[in-house]
Amino acid sequence: MHRLMLATAALGFALAPAAIGIDDGDGAAGVSGGGNGREGRAERPLVPERTTAYRAKKLVLGDGRVIDDGVVLVEEGVIRRAGSGLEIPAGAGVVEHDGTLSPGLIALHSYEGGGADLFDATRAVMETADVSLAFDPASGDFARALASGVTAIVLAPTPASLCPGTTAVVKTAGGTVVKKDAQLALGLGAAALKPNEFPTGYAAALAELEGRFADPKGNFGKAASGNLPVLIQAGTRHEIQRALAFARRFQLRGALLGSTWAEDLVEAIEGSGLSVVCGPVDPGGDAREARSIAALSKAGVRLGFALDAPARHPDSLRFAVALAVRAGMDAGAGLKALTGDAAAIAGVAGRIGRIEPGLDADLVLWSGDPADLGSAVVAVYVDGKLVHGGTE
Amino acid sequence: MILHLVTPLLFFVSSGGEAVVDSQSLTVYADVVYTSTGERIENGGVTVSDGRIRAVGAMRAPKDALHVAAITAGMIDLSGHVTTGGSVEESREVTPEIRVAGTLDPFSISWARQLRSGVTTVLVSPDDRNVIGGLAVALKTGGEKSIEARTVKADAALRGAFGSEPSRGNHPAYGRPTDFYSRRPTTRMGVEWEWRKAMYDAVAASKDPARTFPGSDELMRALKGELVVVAQAWATQDIRTAIFLVEEMAQQVEGGVRLVLDAGAETWKEPDLLKRSKAAVILPPFAHAGRTTDGAFMAWNVARRLQDLGVTIALSSHDALDDGARLAMQGAYARRGGLTLDEALAAVTINPARMIGIDDRVGSIEIGKDGDLCLWSGEPFQATSRVVGVVLDGELVVDPRAAE
Repeated sequence: MHRLMLATAALGFALAPAAIGIDDGDGAAGVSGGGNGREGRAERPLVPERTTAYRAKKLVLGDGRVIDDGVVLVEEGVIRRAGSGLEIPAGAGVVEHDGTLSPGLIALHSYEGGGADLFDATRAVMETADVSLAFDPASGDFARALASGVTAIVLAPTPASLCPGTTAVVKTAGGTVVKKDAQLALGLGAAALKPNEFPTGYAAALAELEGRFADPKGNFGKAASGNLPVLIQAGTRHEIQRALAFARRFQLRGALLGSTWAEDLVEAIEGSGLSVVCGPVDPGGDAREARSIAALSKAGVRLGFALDAPARHPDSLRFAVALAVRAGMDAGAGLKALTGDAAAIAGVAGRIGRIEPGLDADLVLWSGDPADLGSAVVAVYVDGKLVHGGTE
Repeated sequence: MILHLVTPLLFFVSSGGEAVVDSQSLTVYADVVYTSTGERIENGGVTVSDGRIRAVGAMRAPKDALHVAAITAGMIDLSGHVTTGGSVEESREVTPEIRVAGTLDPFSISWARQLRSGVTTVLVSPDDRNVIGGLAVALKTGGEKSIEARTVKADAALRGAFGSEPSRGNHPAYGRPTDFYSRRPTTRMGVEWEWRKAMYDAVAASKDPARTFPGSDELMRALKGELVVVAQAWATQDIRTAIFLVEEMAQQVEGGVRLVLDAGAETWKEPDLLKRSKAAVILPPFAHAGRTTDGAFMAWNVARRLQDLGVTIALSSHDALDDGARLAMQGAYARRGGLTLDEALAAVTINPARMIGIDDRVGSIEIGKDGDLCLWSGEPFQATSRVVGVVLDGELVVDPRAAE
């Protein structure tokens, strides 16, 4: 049986709010405008410096590596050191468990706290629509995500128009915005076409976006100059081909969203340098999707997974990976897609996604290998604070 | 499965007397090779390699060679609508700048259906839900799964429609709740008005850059005759409208529209006007009761009558899903109505190629042209003959032996 042992030292866990979503003050001010660096984060409240050591049988680092007897030293919500068999400083709080510790999972495309309010197809192009201002940080969706080990999501406008807006990276503990304007969402799929208003056809849709990028202004300018990654929704194969050609033409970097049909275009996608946000993948769905993910992974394409909660349970994120692994994806690559690679796609690799000194201590303690669906979430820590599970 | 037939170190003498040696070539032999240049070669063969026709002429077939009853050039269908459903921009009625190529799905199974029926090149146009729908593209029906790679000619024609189709479903803004289809045109007169307005606006834009609008350049190119106009017009009144409009515009712009009437079922009713217009005609699939779209009547002998008038004709299948309506059968129906074999062959090969200016690459069996061949089980356009094999860009993509 898995057992959580909390050997709290002098100051103990009394400092850490155990309840979910409680903001200790840095949350509201914690928006990072700069992206990758830690600069721009608000100063933390003055508390006595103390170290918490997390020790687990296995440590999933988020970059593909897994180490035994892992120890992570965290100070003030930031990872200071991590490694195998590190010496735990005297006076440190210790969290010890015979399970696996991993970075918090990152869902790349979801609607927690926003839901249907993020679906606005009344205008074909809304490039300045900002989801970071349109969600409820107190929504119960976030607690549900934390319970599944999901510590950050890319909140996205529904890709039902040519350009529905920009995405934002949000922590599920307290709804802290890690990065606003993370990606410029573009829709080149059938969902962006309308039966009864512009655009009804692909050609005019494409022409409209080409026009926006021919003399790019605002967020289109940022995307064209490579300062704002794009997230291009493309469903079927011809839509993916169109998206690839479009990205190539305007030298856009970023990711494709949707991978059901990607298996026939692996080479082209790999050559494009674009990443792919896969799924959500549901059991009993099109088998081609899981095969496509496995093929993309084998070809070396950087992958992450969409969640689309609250319509889907946050557990389906790990389920999607399991289905891809079942179709041939390497399980380690699957975990990387939920952590380090997801952070890289969202443009927050300097903040979250891996267990590495300097990054936020967003950690999930699992009863076993997180790629194994039999493993359960034991405890979730965000910025070094227990936000789900565990025992006092 | 693509099969490369390797014929190492064999020498063939082409009709031009040119010897061809190629270790990666494919030679198909036939009782008769119909070249679409008026020539019939008995006991002949065609050699293709690197995508092109390298030799054609009388050849003795070696043992176990690929041999069929007849070989023709790959067929060309100018009425291809192998579209995705997103081919029309219905938020406007006139969209000359829209390229249908940007809406197509190279992975669609419809292409293979066309290819297997012997059609190797199609002109794909936007569906006729707009008055002027946009720019059509000439494509191969097989090969690499990319529209770019399959393109024979981009912007091969400007597509539009007369008649009831562009106004179908539209209704005036009064009398019922306003919706997307409270739009122009609602009548034939409205369709004609939209055509004329677009053309006059383009002329005005050519004189005053401030009046430029999306598609004005494409319309001017069409008015000058630089871009072929393929306009759907089934019934007499629509054929008259198209020709009168073109004649009117010829007074405005030097050059004049090069008009191809698509689905010109009732072109036979206006022989003098048709002759005067020099328009070419794409005939729709023959209908058993004679009645086609828009109430237009097409008799079995329409092809014969147009041929006698000296009108350039092409047959088409309109992407018939029914095997009995495919292009090979259209040739058979046209023969039943009096067309000769060579005339029917021209109407599905070299004539359509010339109409849209791709005859330098496809439409006949000549050295240097694309290696697109149609292999037949018997004399072409007989009811008892089938297309049993297809060579596309020099590769045997439908092997007649596979079915044996």
